[in-house]
Amino acid sequence: MSKKSKKKGAFIIEREYIDDQRIIEPEHLKLEEVDMSGRWGVLVLPRTIEEFNHSLYEEIKNHPRGRNIHKCWQCGNCTAACPVAEENPLFNPRYFIHIVKMGYKLELEKFKDYIYLCGSCGRCSEVCPKGVDPSGVMEAIGTVLRRYKL
Amino acid sequence: MRTENPVLIIGGGPAGLRAAVDLSEMGIEVILVEKRNELGGAPVRWKYKTLAPMMRPTEEVMNPLIEHVEKSELVKVYKNSIVEEAKGNAGNFVIRIKNGLDNRVESLNVSAIIVATGFEHFDARIDPRYGYGKNPNVIGIHELEAMLKSGRVVKHDGQPPERIAFIFCVGSRDRATNPWCCTVCCGVSIKQAIELKEILPDSQIYMIYMDVRTFGLWEKLYWKSMEEYGINYIRGRVSEIYYTGEKLLVKGEDTLVRGPFEVLFDMVVLAVGMEPGQGTKQVAKALDLAINEFGFLEPKHPNIHHDSSKEGIFLAGACVAPMSVEEAIAEGSAAAMQVVKLLHRLAKPIEAR
Repeated sequence: MSKKSKKKGAFIIEREYIDDQRIIEPEHLKLEEVDMSGRWGVLVLPRTIEEFNHSLYEEIKNHPRGRNIHKCWQCGNCTAACPVAEENPLFNPRYFIHIVKMGYKLELEKFKDYIYLCGSCGRCSEVCPKGVDPSGVMEAIGTVLRRYKL
Repeated sequence: MRTENPVLIIGGGPAGLRAAVDLSEMGIEVILVEKRNELGGAPVRWKYKTLAPMMRPTEEVMNPLIEHVEKSELVKVYKNSIVEEAKGNAGNFVIRIKNGLDNRVESLNVSAIIVATGFEHFDARIDPRYGYGKNPNVIGIHELEAMLKSGRVVKHDGQPPERIAFIFCVGSRDRATNPWCCTVCCGVSIKQAIELKEILPDSQIYMIYMDVRTFGLWEKLYWKSMEEYGINYIRGRVSEIYYTGEKLLVKGEDTLVRGPFEVLFDMVVLAVGMEPGQGTKQVAKALDLAINEFGFLEPKHPNIHHDSSKEGIFLAGACVAPMSVEEAIAEGSAAAMQVVKLLHRLAKPIEAR
């Protein structure tokens, strides 16, 4: 029985290249009766996007404030106008909309704590040329993430 | 106003037909030389279903032109023919028309020449990334257009595709192939995606683009496809298409996420660009016309397409630069106008010219 490392996959060489979300560290792993727990059992998921999964996107589209997400064409007016994005580069409403639309769940998990940084000031919705209402979409994403306890 | 010598138009596509219609309506005799065995150019040859951006049936645009030309007593049509040689000056060119079927050669005198030899679609086999010609279900937009027109879009096994990718800029905007933008393939691909969605409402369609260049009023198509038809857009490029024996594994990069993707598709449609065809090259040689670095015919002045490098020879349509059908038709009219101006000038006594 091995101890779980303090940081996920801390023993991995060049660890900083890999996102936390992509490291799978099962506490107990048995393969054909052989105990594979510990370092041997650690998996790194590939970065390659293998599927466009629209289930989360459909849920957000059904949320009253997320219903215009499909109109987004990734111009970036929202992020350019966002006072939070100005302070924190990891808060990027344009990017959040894209990863939701394409269903990149792992990527969304990486940013799950940042989506709530939205202060609902509404500047993004004022400047959006297509009427996406990004501020509403942020709220919808938050709601759906809570639904899945992410 | 009738002249002694008729006007020669090379190419029976939208530009050439429009010029022939305009000149004959002004009472000027026209000789229309077409390399293929039918009139109408690319829209007829590749069986375009509708024309962007208004999605008007191709027949509504092309048939009146074709019918007028075929019925008019002032237009003599030479099908299956090419112009081998042209000598002389504005007002009196001596041309040789060769019939490609029986190799019969005819010499004629013409007063002016309009070159409207159009374009060819890029041959996607030249770019090995897409496996076009090898992978089943990897087709060009020109081939999809004919499928849409027949109302039956199916894979090689006869089943309708569920997930379809369009790849923009195939052969275009790339130094390895053609470094120019073909200007219409974005709009045409989007138009086709909308038509696909109407035939196959449950299909998922992804547009893999570098830029979306739906210029002018064509922008409406782009908005409509996204907002009303739920078509997905991925900014990125495709590096390889691999046929698994059942589906197509499309490898590429989503440049907005900065991440590679490998996703299975049922069908891949390549937005093949436009390039000068053999016809344009042959005419440039036969008429000794200037060509630009890309192989398109070079106008005398930049921004003014209709004057060629030689007096009495005028240019119209996609042999000058990639363009849409609507633009080619307008250029046909513009070239016809220049011919009328020339004939008017030549009809005056020499000292009054």
